[in-house]
Amino acid sequence: MKKRLHVAVATVGLGALLALAAAPLFAHHSFAAEFDPSKPVKLKGTVTEMEWINPHSWIHIDVKSADGKVTSWMVEGGSPNALLRRGFTKDALPAGAEVIVEGYQAKDGSNRANGRDITFADGKKLFLGSDNTGAPAGSEK
Amino acid sequence: MSHRFFQVVLVGVVSLTSAVAQTASAPASTKMLAAKEGAKTWTPPKTVEGVPDISGVFTNASAVPLERPKELGSKEFFTREEAEANAKKVENTKEVVAPGTYGDVHYSMAQFGLERGQSTLPSTVRTSLIVGPEGRVPALLPDAAKRQAAKQAANRGHEFDGPENRGLSERCIIWGNEGPPMLPVGYNSDLQIVQGKGYVAILQEMIHDVRIIPTDGSPHLDPSVKLLLGDSRGHWEGNTLVVDTTNFTDRTNFRGSGENLHVIEKFTRTDPDTVLYQFTAEDPTTWAHAWSGEVPMTKIDGPIFEYACSEGNYGMRNNLSGARAAEKQTAAK
Amino acid sequence: MNIPTASFALLALSLPLAAQTYKAPRTADGKADLNGIWQALNTADWDIQAHSAAAGPAPMLAADFAVPPGTGVVEGNEIPYLPDALAKKKENFAKRYSDDPEVKCYLPGVPRATYMPYPFQIVQSPKTILISYEYAGAVRTINMDKPTKAPVDSWMGWSNGHWEGDTLVVDVTGLNGKTWFDRAGNFHSDALHVVERYTPRSADTLLYEATIEDPKTFSKPWKISMPLYRHVEKNAQLLEFKCVEFAEELLYGNLRKQPRGGAAPK
Repeated sequence: MKKRLHVAVATVGLGALLALAAAPLFAHHSFAAEFDPSKPVKLKGTVTEMEWINPHSWIHIDVKSADGKVTSWMVEGGSPNALLRRGFTKDALPAGAEVIVEGYQAKDGSNRANGRDITFADGKKLFLGSDNTGAPAGSEK
Repeated sequence: MSHRFFQVVLVGVVSLTSAVAQTASAPASTKMLAAKEGAKTWTPPKTVEGVPDISGVFTNASAVPLERPKELGSKEFFTREEAEANAKKVENTKEVVAPGTYGDVHYSMAQFGLERGQSTLPSTVRTSLIVGPEGRVPALLPDAAKRQAAKQAANRGHEFDGPENRGLSERCIIWGNEGPPMLPVGYNSDLQIVQGKGYVAILQEMIHDVRIIPTDGSPHLDPSVKLLLGDSRGHWEGNTLVVDTTNFTDRTNFRGSGENLHVIEKFTRTDPDTVLYQFTAEDPTTWAHAWSGEVPMTKIDGPIFEYACSEGNYGMRNNLSGARAAEKQTAAK
Repeated sequence: MNIPTASFALLALSLPLAAQTYKAPRTADGKADLNGIWQALNTADWDIQAHSAAAGPAPMLAADFAVPPGTGVVEGNEIPYLPDALAKKKENFAKRYSDDPEVKCYLPGVPRATYMPYPFQIVQSPKTILISYEYAGAVRTINMDKPTKAPVDSWMGWSNGHWEGDTLVVDVTGLNGKTWFDRAGNFHSDALHVVERYTPRSADTLLYEATIEDPKTFSKPWKISMPLYRHVEKNAQLLEFKCVEFAEELLYGNLRKQPRGGAAPK
């Protein structure tokens, strides 16, 4: 049985709507402990594998230096679940794709970086643009 | 085409007879705005077993925070226009990635669709999830505050000594918002409700935990058995599933509470795409009085994708390894 | 009645009457009722093939954690490994107490989740059947609607189910190849395809069968089968076996600031 509740609501102008802070991102781990802001990296490499896993995805790339030496790097990405909900599959980033990564190197000096900016070699964003462009065709909901 | 949609849901007023006394006289309920004249009560369909059907895959993401922003004082409800403007503001909020910020040393949230505005945000006209004029979690009782301070003090300076010094979610043991009460989280804020004979199962995406709630009025477990998600018992009151949860561990730490936490939840399907989730939390060793909240949940396309955590927890290794490297550097100076 | 059910019914009529099958109670939508808390009663998790008792990995724990014997759950007791895979299995067995993903509390995959020594619960609705496993909070949702395709691999796989008479048939793909079948090193690749069958055989037992197919690992499909027993005690309930924290020392112990015992508890 429903009761109608009458609640007096004061009308407040939109100007009174102060910036409502977005709920802080649930920071489940400290990236400042993992990556070193004093060690920026810009990597250009070939994808060997993308791990579509949680809590973070990881993109493995081979980076070839000018002298022909190949170094393997791991780049940290976000949880892939939101991409999967939009229709992306593991085929979205196949082995062999050329990518460019901007981020910082791991604090312990290993060949790991956070994927702050990841694009294909032609500059196209890896998955989604911030306005949600880039979702696979037919995945619109 | 933008994936997100803003769904204005006319939420029916639901009578909530809380089993727990609240100091606020206004019962926790949602306000029906722009109700059509003479709109009739919506009766939810039933499952094949003949109980109200609250099943489906839902998001409980929210455009409003748990606690009401201080500047809004006792303003419990927006007008519809204010609510829409607020939601739009949240949808357009982008991660800050300027040098020196958290977002700079992080992966791109937007690229992976993880910004809050990139997912469905169930609409609400409330200014906070917590109901009532205060709209905030009650202050901790003195002993509880001491308990909390002692825990934090013990860990200060030891934050990266070992895995036990990290939070339960970073350790992939349990996610903070799983509760109960189940609260929104920044992304992957999804759950699935499956109803079988005599039970309601709730699967929360992070960290793939299932609460299996018997609806037969059976008694709680012996108090000596403590569970991170507590022990839940449910029963139907009309169209509402009422769930009572006790038997929490002392590591539960929901907003400062511990093993004496007692949570009452209510699930009511208010329209084809919405289940209204209401909760009351009480812990006489933590708060002077109980407090309540409401979280509308909107249907999304399923399924819930697997969120295996510990199996891929490179981050834990990397954090500890990074801390050890930083210590070596400091020692070398 | 849909076509598969009709065919099965006709076939059943043509069988000799001596083959009496148990008729399970129905759910409200007319399907065999598999709701309940179930558990396997065998030592398949130690070794799915027939095996004798043996000493365990920890001499200090002696008889508590020795390997119990078992008559095996593999039909014919042979696992048709390809030659390279057989070598890998032997290597796994030699390193089983360090390499078995179960030791690290990793999700067990399918079919191993079914015969872990912990209960699991089936919550059955017409469009979705959820199976919640006490071990490590493992869970699967079985899609009973139009089958869908796995977009990525996962630990517990991607399950599409349908009914064949009273048998729940579950087709599992999208398994990531990182699980083992048991603690004896029996393994598979990410090409694993499992077809499970859950058939009520009495009021409190199910017959569980699983056909295993993996062309990267085995020369032909093979099959396991076992009964599953209902927990009939009045207060039967899944509790929490959240073993991740039991594995932390193993996974991260070498990265501690001080050796074990030095960290302040949180």
